Amino acid sequence: MSKKIDYASASDEMLVRGSQKGDMLAFEELVVRHRDKLYARAFSMMRNEDEAVDLSQEAWVKGWQRLKQFQGEASFVTWMTRIVINLCLDQLRKHKRLRTDSIEQMDDESGGVERQMPVVTINPSEGLERSELRARIDRALKQLTYAHRTVLVLHEFEGLEYKEVAKRMGCSIGTVMSRLFYARRRMAGLLAGLKEELKP
Amino acid sequence: MNHETELRLQAWLDGELPSVEAREVAALVERDPAARALWEELRITKGVLKANELERELPATREFYWSQIERQIRQLEAAEAAVPPPRWFSAWLKYGAPAAILTALAVMVTAPNLRLGAPASVTSHAEVDSPLDDISFFTFRSEAEGMTVLWVSNQ
Repeated sequence: MSKKIDYASASDEMLVRGSQKGDMLAFEELVVRHRDKLYARAFSMMRNEDEAVDLSQEAWVKGWQRLKQFQGEASFVTWMTRIVINLCLDQLRKHKRLRTDSIEQMDDESGGVERQMPVVTINPSEGLERSELRARIDRALKQLTYAHRTVLVLHEFEGLEYKEVAKRMGCSIGTVMSRLFYARRRMAGLLAGLKEELKP
Repeated sequence: MNHETELRLQAWLDGELPSVEAREVAALVERDPAARALWEELRITKGVLKANELERELPATREFYWSQIERQIRQLEAAEAAVPPPRWFSAWLKYGAPAAILTALAVMVTAPNLRLGAPASVTSHAEVDSPLDDISFFTFRSEAEGMTVLWVSNQ
């Protein structure tokens, strides 16, 4: 007699084990649970809704194909997030190949205007509702270059160390440090600017 | 402050400096107001970002999103099922099949001599059909020399 599985209340671990045995309903439940997170990560890197949907779907397909390789060292959602990040990085690299050495790219390394920017003393989170602060951070992130935004996403949101970021982005640790520095400085300036705009 | 020092300040903030260097940077922040101000800016920015990533909802229904994933998985699995035989089989065809044919020919050629009392047959310039298109075999048997020559050609 086959045992009826309550997918909605099953743990991720149980669903992963089921998926590894070919149970597609178990995998569907995992997709339902974590689709927003994967989409959000893809969107934070690509800043394009359609691309983020496509890449997150591609990540799920790859996840299914590689399920046997998942040993549970990290959580399933962390493992899946790494897959979508790699797909986004591949996509970004493809885009970069089409671009020539622009001033924007050179600024990625040298810092551009952030180099001369005075130190910001305003705390952008003071007196703000969390939702408003999050929306502002998102608007500010949108204004960064892909290289600066990617390094921030990988380091601040994903919690990867410098060497891990460097490995994934295919650059040196020095470049990661430099990009992270200028990205943070630019974010500080942008967030302070957004806050100043609201002052009466 | 040079850029290297700025990056060391940041690395200290991120916990990526060895302890000896970390002590040096901590002392710098303590005594240099410019270094302290920059470090503060970096610290606040890091803190604000870390805890405030915007949550996003997928702009597609559960059914539509999953159906597309499922379709792609099914297509891939169907394609995998239709894939040509695995490499080991191809390798066997390339190397194992000729070897098997050679063995069979050798048995054919030598078998008459093994039969007790049977007269030895004389075979020369015999051509044997090969099931492989690009390989042909010729055998030559010299009873006088007591020798069989097998010629394999892929021309």
